[in-house]
Amino acid sequence: MRKRPHYLAGFGSLVWLFVVGLPLYVMLVATFQSRADYAANGPLGLPKKLTFDNYLNDGFAQYFLNTVIVTVSVVAIILLLVPPLAYAIVRSDGKATGRVFRLFLLGLAIPSQAVIVPMFYLINEAGLYDNLIGVILPTAAFAMPVCVLILTGVMRDITPELYEAMTVDGAAPWRIFRQLVLPLSKGGLSTVIVFSSLQAWNGFLFPLVLTQSAENKVITMGLYDFQTEHGVDIPGLLAAVVLSMLPILLVYLFARRALIQGLMGVGGK
Amino acid sequence: MALSLAACGGSAASSDGGSDTIHVLVYGDATNKVEKQLVDTFNKTSKVKAVLDTIPGADYQSKLQTVISGKQAPDLFFNWGGGSIKPYVDAGLLMPLDDFIAKNPDLKSNFLPSVFNTAVVDGKPYGVPMRGTQPVLLFSNKKALQKAGVTAPRTWAELLTTVKTLKAKGVTPIALGGGDKWPTQMWFQYIYDRVAGPELFQKAVDGDKQVWASEDSKKALGMLKELIDAGAFGTNYDSVKFTDGGSPALLATGKAAFELMGSWEYSTLQDAYPDFVKSDLGYGTFPTVEGGKGDPDNLAGNTNNFYSVLKSTEHPEAVAEFLKLMYSDQFVKDQLSIGNLPTTTNTPKFLDGSANPAYSTFQYDLVKKAPAFQLSWDQAFPPAATTTLHQAIQQFFNGQMGTDAFIAAMQNLPAA
Amino acid sequence: MTTATAPAVDSVEKPGARERAKRPGTGVGRPGFAWAAPAAVFFGLFALVPLALVVVLSFTRWNGLGSPEFAGLENWSKLLDDPVMVKSLWLSLLLTVLGVLVQTPISILLGVWAAGHQRNRAVLSAIYFVPLLLSITAVSVLWRAVLDPNFGVPSQAKWLFGDGNLFGVQASALGVLVFVSTWQFTPLHTLLYQGAARAIPQVLYQAAQIDGAGRYRQFFHITLPQLRNTIITSTILMVVGGLTTFDTVLILTQGGPGTDTTNSAYYMYQKAFKSFDFGMASAIALLLVLVASLVSLVMVRLSGYDKMRSTMEGV
Repeated sequence: MRKRPHYLAGFGSLVWLFVVGLPLYVMLVATFQSRADYAANGPLGLPKKLTFDNYLNDGFAQYFLNTVIVTVSVVAIILLLVPPLAYAIVRSDGKATGRVFRLFLLGLAIPSQAVIVPMFYLINEAGLYDNLIGVILPTAAFAMPVCVLILTGVMRDITPELYEAMTVDGAAPWRIFRQLVLPLSKGGLSTVIVFSSLQAWNGFLFPLVLTQSAENKVITMGLYDFQTEHGVDIPGLLAAVVLSMLPILLVYLFARRALIQGLMGVGGK
Repeated sequence: MALSLAACGGSAASSDGGSDTIHVLVYGDATNKVEKQLVDTFNKTSKVKAVLDTIPGADYQSKLQTVISGKQAPDLFFNWGGGSIKPYVDAGLLMPLDDFIAKNPDLKSNFLPSVFNTAVVDGKPYGVPMRGTQPVLLFSNKKALQKAGVTAPRTWAELLTTVKTLKAKGVTPIALGGGDKWPTQMWFQYIYDRVAGPELFQKAVDGDKQVWASEDSKKALGMLKELIDAGAFGTNYDSVKFTDGGSPALLATGKAAFELMGSWEYSTLQDAYPDFVKSDLGYGTFPTVEGGKGDPDNLAGNTNNFYSVLKSTEHPEAVAEFLKLMYSDQFVKDQLSIGNLPTTTNTPKFLDGSANPAYSTFQYDLVKKAPAFQLSWDQAFPPAATTTLHQAIQQFFNGQMGTDAFIAAMQNLPAA
Repeated sequence: MTTATAPAVDSVEKPGARERAKRPGTGVGRPGFAWAAPAAVFFGLFALVPLALVVVLSFTRWNGLGSPEFAGLENWSKLLDDPVMVKSLWLSLLLTVLGVLVQTPISILLGVWAAGHQRNRAVLSAIYFVPLLLSITAVSVLWRAVLDPNFGVPSQAKWLFGDGNLFGVQASALGVLVFVSTWQFTPLHTLLYQGAARAIPQVLYQAAQIDGAGRYRQFFHITLPQLRNTIITSTILMVVGGLTTFDTVLILTQGGPGTDTTNSAYYMYQKAFKSFDFGMASAIALLLVLVASLVSLVMVRLSGYDKMRSTMEGV
């Protein structure tokens, strides 16, 4: 269905493009300049001489690998635990599952920094300090509430007749889950994947407090290396930022369609 | 649960007990490169191997406090002396170094005394200097001064007239990274030292709250107020930071004529504005104050960095051996080559090999002849005081706090 | 299970029409509590147990060294007398309300706009999404650079920014916080609205067009009402996020000037990791969790979010 173009909306979208784009422009331009040129040109100036040196930082491979490990593991835990939970919340008759759902809704209100002190203690006691597992577990736990919210929203959208039809056929919950719920929640699952990988990829506080050595650094901590006691290597830092966001941007671009479809149900209908 | 937490806090056992390693925890930055080399040198001859751990950037202090009393405690660690280690001394975690020094007097005598004393707590030495000293200096843009027809001020009165001249010419007289707060603090440190001498602040740190309300204290605050009201810092300094390059840029581009900053300003500017450093960067000491009680040769800043040793270490002999390296020729040469200035007695031998010989020599002589070296306030007080201290300093500068309110805020700081 | 997305029945279309169904037979073929148990246990272990420890700590005096000492209600009574604490609560509320008021209209407009299938909208949407990908460190460095009073945008637009002392004055410092949060988190909410807007049945618009309703009437009479549930979800996320944000404050203003942007979450962080007063910090954390839970509970109840399944099945 073609409509005539909406000029006001077009204008608004350009204004927003400017707001979003200006810092991104500053970022990209900075990464192609040497520190001295960036300082001389200022953040808004046009670069006079381009260099790619900022992108040739070799120390990042290990951090990159660690971040991938953390992200994949967090997503795996979420995918293992949350879909059955959401299914139970939407379809179970028991009072207990309702309570669990409210517990997760309340969990939305627990900021991770609120529990960081006891978390450090627990992880330390478990012998997981300075170990990627020690980062993965709490990161996954704190990504769960929003994922539960998203997935229950999506699963509510599956019309009861479909469940009915399968139940009449004598299907057990496991079969319903596998053959009906999972396929119909594809979009929601992509949303959950994108959301939880974002959380893990950009996780800051848990790696900061729970890891220490270079072998166990993730990218967000590696970015800290550009900050010294008294200053920041801005072009170097921003180049590392550009590199570190590329994988997630790719995930987004490939999953975009499924993502939006998944979000079609959020908020319930 | 309370019990298990207590166990957490109380267990002072060193990391991986029983193994033949010592863990050396340092602030993560560019200096780590030469520290790694030093550790490798040490490991070639030592049976007990040293492991270098780093904590990156700004969160060093927070992180240190969370690990130091637990299973992950290092054997020795980087610090700033003074209040930065006081809580650990109070908690009985640190080893006084008297025994080390008795066995090997070089651990004390090979360092400049004003520096070594910064890590003396309750009369006992708790730190051996490492890395270098970082006095705060008054940097200037010579070209900007020339254009305005002024020179670097030697006295406070000259500073005030210079400020007025510069302001009339449309130049911001002094660049200030107020957003970081600690650069603002540098002005307090020097003016208090010049007016009242180092004793006033020492008493304050020791818990004497009355000194803040003394005549000298009020005089120092009055002088600062006069400088601020004269427009010395412009109006938007609280939106400028040193750490993101904002205030050095003001100085280098001539939009501002002066900046009071730690000696690291030189290397910061060298990275970003090599041409400016070559031709137009000036540096000197803080102006003298007529009739002030403090010696004009007194310095303020980061006296030095130190290694302190945990009581729980299982290899004190190895630690003592490691500390010996802190005055070795190799150490001094390495540090100088990357722009740090060690305060060992053998440093002058190698100053020619430093990254900037003239600048290093200038600083070394200053530190050597300084009767007192005021440790930065936020490091002299225990970490618990930092937030309140910084807030009050910022609020005094921007006018939210008057003299009396500032004095009251200082008196409410948690005592050391 | 790690690749749970691999579907057995790929061809099943998402049900487009949302007809309400009769209540199905109960019990048969429904999942039991066992389905919820693993997630509940995991979440309990890594989120609720630490929270319980926070409760304990809030009644102790502890600086991280030595052992926590029981302090009774000391932290709590200090908290109630602390002017900074009271101020920080107001600031939290202010930042939250401003955040919701600014972000909601922008997200709705952008979401509805992006729901269109035009190519240029897809491209722009991808760019709009980028801020969500940046880590905290980068956001801080970028906005500090852009808003630098001497070299950034304010120096180019003095008519708007004056001397550019954005971070030195409470009103503008709060403004920057709201603005940067909006910049960073609008993409998330835009996505929510985009999905929801696409789910609105086209029939409704076609009917309205036949009735001669213009674009704006369609927006206010069809789009907005249809987005009601999404608005609730998005607002809950914004409110809870708004009450508990601290990293934006940490990176941009450090609570300053003075304590003028110190919200409760940042105050807690300061108490814990700057002043090492873990007892006090735990009390603030707990207070914050209570307030945030209360607010989200009220919103969930008022909107009937937790009852949604029954509204769907119980017709």
